[in-house]
Amino acid sequence: MTSTDIAVIGWAQTEMVRQTDSSETKLLLNAITDAITPLGLTRADIDFTCLGSCDYITGQAFSFVSNLDAIGAWPPKRDSHVEMDGAWALYEAWLRLQEGDIEIAVVTGSGRSSTGDPALIYPMEMDPYFLAPLGADPLTFAALQARAVIEAGIATERSMAEVSVRSRGKGNIDELLTKEYLREPLRRHDLPPITDGAAAMVLATGDRARKLVKRPAYITGFDHRSECHNPSFRKLDDSPSTRIAAREAGIADGAIEVAELQAAFTHEELLLRSVLGFDDSVKVNPSGGALRSNPIMATGLCRIGYAADHIFNGGNRALAHSTSGPCLQQNLVCILEGRS
Amino acid sequence: MTRFVESTITFPYKRSLGPVVGMFMTALTEQRILGIRNGTDVIVPPMEWDPATGAELAHDFVEVGPAGTVESWTWVPKPSAQHPLTHPFAFAFIRLDGATTPLLHAVDAGSASALSVGTRVAPRWKGTRIGHITDIDAFVLGETPEVAGPDHGPSETPVSMMEYQASITYNNPVPVAADRVVEASKAQRLLGQVCPVCARVYAGGRGYCPIDAVELGTEHEVDLPDKGTITNYALVTPVQYPGQTETEPFARVFVLLDGTDVILSYQPVIELAASDVHVGVRVAAVWASPAEDIDEGAAMGGAYGALIGWMPTGEPDHTDPDLVNRIF
Ligand SMILES: [Zn+2]
Repeated sequence: MTSTDIAVIGWAQTEMVRQTDSSETKLLLNAITDAITPLGLTRADIDFTCLGSCDYITGQAFSFVSNLDAIGAWPPKRDSHVEMDGAWALYEAWLRLQEGDIEIAVVTGSGRSSTGDPALIYPMEMDPYFLAPLGADPLTFAALQARAVIEAGIATERSMAEVSVRSRGKGNIDELLTKEYLREPLRRHDLPPITDGAAAMVLATGDRARKLVKRPAYITGFDHRSECHNPSFRKLDDSPSTRIAAREAGIADGAIEVAELQAAFTHEELLLRSVLGFDDSVKVNPSGGALRSNPIMATGLCRIGYAADHIFNGGNRALAHSTSGPCLQQNLVCILEGRS
Repeated sequence: MTRFVESTITFPYKRSLGPVVGMFMTALTEQRILGIRNGTDVIVPPMEWDPATGAELAHDFVEVGPAGTVESWTWVPKPSAQHPLTHPFAFAFIRLDGATTPLLHAVDAGSASALSVGTRVAPRWKGTRIGHITDIDAFVLGETPEVAGPDHGPSETPVSMMEYQASITYNNPVPVAADRVVEASKAQRLLGQVCPVCARVYAGGRGYCPIDAVELGTEHEVDLPDKGTITNYALVTPVQYPGQTETEPFARVFVLLDGTDVILSYQPVIELAASDVHVGVRVAAVWASPAEDIDEGAAMGGAYGALIGWMPTGEPDHTDPDLVNRIF
């Protein structure tokens, strides 16, 4: 339990589409309005904002500055930005609220991943000496990790197809397994879609949260850890950073009912389940996860949103996970609880 | 129907390599591959720090390979423009003989069926080596290193820098408000938008009031005066980076439009020498003739569309001492 109660009290996401006509600013304008309005809040009630987005993906230096048009600059607000998924923006807001001098924070995650080709953009974020010059792309690294996870006995091509069918709610496993490899052992169904969209989430401190909603989703544990940037130096059939983050967030303090994992590739869900020690009693990714929609920079924040929905709907304990970097380099775990 | 515009952004990076990566890159020009000792491990590619603890490593280099064993691999049936080979190949983790970590590189194996875990591979060196990871063109099957074409030998001096050209093509929607101001500029009109909440006026096709977070549409458009006063300016001495077309020092000025609160930022000046630019100069908009090519792209910041800059009107200067503070 943290020293100050801090809870998720609402969230909203835009329509998640393959390519949107809207600017990122417009997506955020709508997401923020949709998140605060049902709570009876206006932009003037927000004390702190933190936005998660990525200039590389939009191709505009300081693109997050025009995103500020969506916040409403008056009365003045404390504002911050992370060049990361909105889940890390949430982490910063959670820290900021612990100062105790403010009550309401809004965090966002936004990205238009249709803007460029992810296979060409992401290699530029890799090690600049040894990996970027080879065009080492996310699909290649995912395939190498999938192979390691399969060899460790944690996944099979069939169990990966099962993850895809369950998450997307469509497809026939036997038929999927006859398809060609895009990068062996990965087939099209093992990959996430390209998605444009944004999400916004509202946090409040204890008393204010209880005044605004019947059942706040209290953040009872929150941690993130990172591993070496170069997958050459990591054991790819394990995710020690996830394990440590989950331990520090208090995963062992009670039963997890629902887990929302940011697993963009099918084998990542199976690896994460294994590392987190989940058995069949944990319901994983009822939302469909990143395999159903993968709005870059908002996918992790949406996981926390869906976990909060479980609490809003009467659930007691949910875990949300977000990740960043090649082969699950950096991992964040957030545990949400309801109280009677 | 929203208009999309394609643009390619290129960043030519020069990176300093430091004492460890520089040593590795220099050795590549000599057809040698170096690792670095980390306790009982030999790390390839070498790092300055222990990947697990961050502790600085002594510069204790170990030559590894040149042959090695494929530990894991994935076939790339359709290479991208950034990949080292233009025909199908494998990306593989290769454990070079003597190393304890795998190096990621390309294997030119012909077909996926030629590869399995345990396959032995050796480097195919480029004939001209500059100290770059792609001095190894790719790895090939077998134990014997090759050189592609005539061998031009090692670098005569230690390699301390590397170049990397990042180039990305983007396809972005053009906001309606941005298109509207460019269109209006062709009729020599400066279009603004009035916020229905706070009545502030914005120029340049912003499309939002940032104070109230409301979207501004065609119903909020107003015509702005095409005369104003220079409030502040910068004299830019151009650095000849790629894409810079200016060669002489030039001015960028901020113009406060008459009778409004609107500042146009980073505006070029015309028929006003950089050395004559000062706060208070009265200026008027200069428009491109209909025959001239204009930039239809983004309207934010600087001149846009048929607005090509600002020229002195010859009127007496404004002498308000507060003018200089107006850059927003
Ligand atoms: Zn306004």
